[in-house]
Amino acid sequence: MRRRLPPGIACRLFEFVLPVPNRDAMLGDLIEEYALRAQATSSLAAARWFWSQTCRSVLWKAWYSLRNIDFLDNISIALGVYVAIAILQLGVDLVISKLVAPSPTTSVAIAPVVFLATAAIGGCLTARIRRGTTLFLALAVMISVAMMIDFRICTIPVPWWYPFGFLTLGPLAVLIAPALIGVTNAGAGRPAR
Amino acid sequence: MRREDHLGSLEQIVLLAVLRLKENGYGMMVRREIEECTGRNISIGAVYSTLERLEGKGYVSSFVGEPTSERGGRAKRIFRIEAAGKRALQTTEHVIRSMTEGLTGRWRTI
Repeated sequence: MRRRLPPGIACRLFEFVLPVPNRDAMLGDLIEEYALRAQATSSLAAARWFWSQTCRSVLWKAWYSLRNIDFLDNISIALGVYVAIAILQLGVDLVISKLVAPSPTTSVAIAPVVFLATAAIGGCLTARIRRGTTLFLALAVMISVAMMIDFRICTIPVPWWYPFGFLTLGPLAVLIAPALIGVTNAGAGRPAR
Repeated sequence: MRREDHLGSLEQIVLLAVLRLKENGYGMMVRREIEECTGRNISIGAVYSTLERLEGKGYVSSFVGEPTSERGGRAKRIFRIEAAGKRALQTTEHVIRSMTEGLTGRWRTI
């Protein structure tokens, strides 16, 4: 039997990131077309199409926000949260180094956990403040990780995929964590434009 | 031509799709119509952003339909072209006609 339900995570991401006006209508349209495509082709092809629509719509929304007067508000919130999570991460690193005095190998193992956890907390915090601003935080995280890779901050030899994991999973943690946990901003009535 | 009558290329395409679809102009149909007519695979987000902008300009109006099960219980937002939208399309068409007049023979030489 063919699967007719669209990818759940994509739906939640779509619901989470896009603004309230027209969000339901847009998602309804995608679900309707997904069912038609799943019938005409395959569930896998339809799911791929659904994901591509979700990602492109989210990017379109980001571009639209950049052109909007809300841009400065969004940037300020994202940078504020970014500073907060950087301090949090620094604090956690400090506590860990005091408590267990980790070797370089342990540091390499612990660092991604701390990084992803703080990124997820940052995503949830941003989502509480304003829906949609998580995109800006994800971008800030991605840029800062890319800069750290470029400046070779990490002196411990690591495989190539290690920094690449930070670069991709960090922004993803910011975006997906609030959607998975179901965090909504208190001012849901005032969506990010 | 008034400045507000100027339509961007995506606005033109979306407005024409709404006009072609008559009473059936909701997001999915607009997106599919554009894909079928132009081969452009645009995102639903782009369609709605453009429709919202056109609605802001008074070129289209919209109303919410009934929720249906095949849409996961979500309602359609159906868009209809307004007189101002038709005028804007006519103006754009007039501009294109004026600018391309006498160019028929030149396409081959370019």
